[in-house]
Formats: sequence, C-alpha cells, structure tokens
Amino acid sequence: MAVEETTTDQGVEDIIVCRDVHKWYGNFHALKGVSTTVKPGEVVVILGPSGSGKSTLIRTINHLEQHQRGDIIVDGIELSGDIRNIDAIRREVGMVFQSFNLFPHLSVLQNITLAPTKVRHWSKSQAEEVAMELLTRVGIPEQSAKFPAELSGGQQQRVAIARALAMQPKIMLFDEPTSALDPEMIKEVLDVMRELASTGMTMLTVTHEIGFAREVADRVIMMDEGNIVEEAEPNEFFTNPRNERAQLFLSQIL
Amino acid sequence: MASQPTSRPEAILPPRSEVGVIGWLHANLFSSLLNSVLTLVSGALLLLGLWFGLKWIFFAADWTVISELGGRFLLGRYNTEAACDGQNCFWRPQAALIMVSVLLGAAWGLRSNQVARTIAWLVAGVSAAFAFLPYSLETMGLDVRILLLLNLPAVPLGWALARYTPLGTGTRITILGVAIFFITLILMRGLPGLPFLQPVSVVYWGGLSLNLILAVGGITLSLPIGISLALGRRSNLPVVKVLCIFFIEVFRGVPLITLLFMSQTLVPLAFPEDMPQNSLFRAAVVITLFSSAYMAENIRGGLQALHPGQAEAARALGLPGWQTTLLISLPQAIRNVIPAIVGQFIGLFKDTSLVYIIGMLDVVAIGRSFIQSNPEFLPSARELFVFLAAVFWIFTYGMSYVSGKVEDYLGVGIR
Repeated sequence: MAVEETTTDQGVEDIIVCRDVHKWYGNFHALKGVSTTVKPGEVVVILGPSGSGKSTLIRTINHLEQHQRGDIIVDGIELSGDIRNIDAIRREVGMVFQSFNLFPHLSVLQNITLAPTKVRHWSKSQAEEVAMELLTRVGIPEQSAKFPAELSGGQQQRVAIARALAMQPKIMLFDEPTSALDPEMIKEVLDVMRELASTGMTMLTVTHEIGFAREVADRVIMMDEGNIVEEAEPNEFFTNPRNERAQLFLSQIL
Repeated sequence: MASQPTSRPEAILPPRSEVGVIGWLHANLFSSLLNSVLTLVSGALLLLGLWFGLKWIFFAADWTVISELGGRFLLGRYNTEAACDGQNCFWRPQAALIMVSVLLGAAWGLRSNQVARTIAWLVAGVSAAFAFLPYSLETMGLDVRILLLLNLPAVPLGWALARYTPLGTGTRITILGVAIFFITLILMRGLPGLPFLQPVSVVYWGGLSLNLILAVGGITLSLPIGISLALGRRSNLPVVKVLCIFFIEVFRGVPLITLLFMSQTLVPLAFPEDMPQNSLFRAAVVITLFSSAYMAENIRGGLQALHPGQAEAARALGLPGWQTTLLISLPQAIRNVIPAIVGQFIGLFKDTSLVYIIGMLDVVAIGRSFIQSNPEFLPSARELFVFLAAVFWIFTYGMSYVSGKVEDYLGVGIR
C-alpha cells in the first residue's frame, strides 16, 4: 500500500505540532491557544460539543482556516502565509469532509486520479492503477465509471477517502466523516477508517462515534469553547474523565 | 434515478388511466371539467390561428420580394460593381461557406457526433439547394451554382479529415475553426497586391453574412473574456477587482446603440487621423465587449452557486489555486449557467442587427433599404419581415437545440 508509516515509537519526532494556536472569526474567538502534538502513526479522536472548535482545529492544520497566532508545524514544515509551504503541506495531508465534497462533474475514477496526475504528475495509467487499488481497498471497484450522484452516501464517502489516499498522504484528517450518513452506511465508512488506522496511518478524526473512538483511537482530545479540556487514552477518558466538562459531555452522549 | 421494476410479487403495473395515449390525454388535457373546457377553447383558438396563418402564407402572401432580394439577402452589396471594381467576387464568400461545411463535417467525424452531423448536412444541403433556384443563368451563373453544390462533398471531406488524418483531435479542429474564421475575413476583405483578391471595403459587407461574422466572432470571444472578467471580479487583488467591476458596470450600464455610436464618433479621436479606420472592426469589438460584460455576470452567478466545499476539497488535495479554478470551479459553474450563456449568445446574434445605426447593411437593413429604393415592393414589407423573423428564428433555435444537446451530454440537471 501507499503509506509505509508503521513506527509508533515514543522516540520519533512529532509529525504535527500545535503551539498556542489562536483563531478568530471576526470578533469570535474560535481557538483560544490550543497546544498539542501528534506522533506518526497515532490515531487521535477529537470530541466535543458543537461550536467547541474541533473542526476549526483540524482545518487549520491544512490551512483551510488560517490561524492568526501561534505555530503549526506539519511534517517539519511550518505553516506560514507562504503559499508554497501551504501547498507542500496539503500534498502530505489528506482530508475527508462531512459532506464528501466529491467533484460532481467527474467520474469516481477521475475524482481519484485528478490530484495525482495534476499535482504529483503521475501518468494517467499509473494514477488509474493506484485508484483502482484504492477503490478495491474501500470495497467499491465496480463503481469506478459512475458519477458521484449515482452512489449512496456511504459509497461517496468511501470514494472521498480513496481520493485523499491517492495522494499518498502521511496524515489523514477526518472532519465528521459519518455525520451526514444513514446509520447503516456509517459502519461501512468506519470499517474503512478502522482498516486505515491498522496500517499505521496518522489520523486526526473529529467524530461523534464513541465506539470508534474507544476501539481505534490511541488518544482522545476533548475540546470545549475553543480549548482542549482533556487529553487522555480512550479507556481512561471514557471510564474516568477528570475534567468536569468532559464528565458532563459524556453523560449526555453515552 | 428511477427505480427499476423488480421481480418481487408486490410490484405491479401502474393503473391503466396513467399510461398510454388515453392516460396522457386524461392526465394532461381532460383531468377535470374546467380543464376540459380550457382544452377545447384553446384548441379551437390554436386551429383558428393556424388556419389563417397558413392561408396567408400559402395563398395571400406575395413572396416575390424575397426572390427579388436574392443574393443581397446573404451578401448585401458585396458583389456589386462599386464594391468589387468590376471583378467577380462572388466566389470568395462561397469558398468560405465551403470551408464551413468542411469544418462541420470534421466536427461530425471527430466523435461521430449526431448533432454535428445534422447541422453539417443541413447547412450543406440548404446551400446546395440554392444551386437549383429558378433564376436565369445571367442572374445566377453556372460557376455560382457549382460552388454551391461543392458544399455537399465538403461535408464527407471534413468527416474523412477528422477520421483518417492527424487533424482528428478536438484541439486541432478548434484551431482549424479559428483559422477558417480568419481566412474567411481575409477572403472577404481581400489582400492588396493579389489580383484575384481585390480589396473590398467593409462598408460593402452586408446581409446575413455580416450578422454571422459579427455573431461568430462575438460569441467565440465573449465567453473567454467574460470568464476572465468574472474571475477578475472575484479576485483578491484589489486593482484587478476594481478594474473588472468598472469595465463590467460601464459596458453593462450603457445601451449597445450608444456604445456603437461612440465607437464610430469617439474612438477615432483617440487614434492618429491617418490610421486606417475600420468601422466594422470597431463595431465587432463593441458588440463583443458589451456581451462579455453580461457573460461575466452570468459566469459569476454560476461560480457563486458552487458549494465552497468544492474548492476546499480541491485545495486540500494540494491543487494550486489556478488549477482549482480551471478544473473544479469553472467547469461546474459553466455547466450550471449554460441556459444563461446561450441566452446571451442568442441576444448577441440578434443585436448584430443594430449595426444598421452605424450605416452597415445587415440582413434587416438590406431588406429595409431594398423596399425603400423599390417602392413597388412597399406592400410586401410584411412578407419580407416575416421571412427575416423566420431566418433569425432558425439560427437562434439552432443554438437552443445545440445547447440542449450539450446539457444532455453533460448530464446537467441529472448529476
């Protein structure tokens, strides 16, 4: 497979570093000095009530949102205003959105091969070969010639995952990947994500799927009002949350 | 997507009253007493209108004015003594027409496009049919008739060029099309020094060919200019943005007639007096820019309708901004505003008639001037304008038809 990140040694360099990250929307203070680090191969699940800044945080990591204070360093590259740095980071960071955001005017195969051919300059045949491998991996190779609108939500999201993986990223960001799906389709997407985590991919996932967090995450980050209020291993977090806000949140969703 | 009937036992056919001719009539024309009455009344009015209309067309109307107008309808004063200095220039527009037939044939051969095939044979067929018009040989010579007939083999020639030569790619056919447009202009205008290409001043250009030249040039250029303006207006660069807004608002805010007058009276002041003046070129520029301003706003509407997640997804994949625009935003935006774009094309085609106000005899003006200078045809003005309306309609409907086919091909409204 494309991604060879298998080491999870404690000694390795952090692949994502956030230091005192602030973000404002107008006067609204969305991120209030968030600091955290992620090691290669780590699976981090970010929980929290809506409006707590979870999505904003992972969107600052590939600069879809610009942070106004603090430092974000991804794979050794510092996110500054420099467009070359931003594009370099985006090549290494894949993202999956809540609303899939597949390109409706392109077929499934074209959706996946677009970035590898245009950004990585692979040949069409090489890109298509990788795309078919990925479609097989997410379980829908037979849908390659269809257009996104002809697929179910779960299938679309699996195509979106394959599209992000085609760039052979080192990090995958998932922004509520199952929130727009019917219950029976959530499982097929989570299965793909589970398999991906088992290959050692570094993953940051915003989700409300507690089962997934418990089973797959190496670490859970709980956010509230633009701050990280608790960071812990899933077992500890779900059975013995220390923070009052985390206890309240868990009592509401469990 | 519609679900397929399944083999499960509970899947049965819809009720009889919903399907077939009877079902359709019942559902659409006679679904209630009021609707039945409306159907009968409007049907009667329709038949009445049709009856009088057809009766006028076939029995009352006197169409000799059209045949008297003859070739002037297509070419204005182009092939007159004054224009051509005694030479026969008629072959020049005809050679251009044959090239257009070749081009249409090539478009058909490229991907066995059925729409292109229909249009190619239609254009070539109508042209060839003109060869058999019952004019005397003095009025319409044998050479003219043979050149018209050559449009028929031109179509399969183009088809074969696209099929069996390296010319057969979309890009090359497009380049061929642009080349043919410029060759047409050169053929029509002539080249000083070449005895067989005696220069013909643009003031003698006219008729339908003038409308078509202005429309084809305007349509091909107003789309890319409009796209650039739309992108410029959405740009983050303040100077570019302000300039684009200024351009769009000025050209959209002033009537085309005013702009055409200004192009003839004001623009020459900006250039040295001894510079060659070309009123047709200035008119073409004004029509194109006017249309571009509207086009820009159509495209901008399409861009604004896109979900921001589309551009985000492209940027997240590492596509640079210009590729995101070119490959993701624009194709979707244009698909979504095809009806508005084609509306603008149709508007532009009809607006080409306005060049009469700067003294150019387009197809409408040539008809008017013919009647004015031949008062015996004054009572036939009605027939003339009905005919002109039909000609305009054929071309504009053609554009609508093609755009509908393009929408079908792209799956607009389906996916």
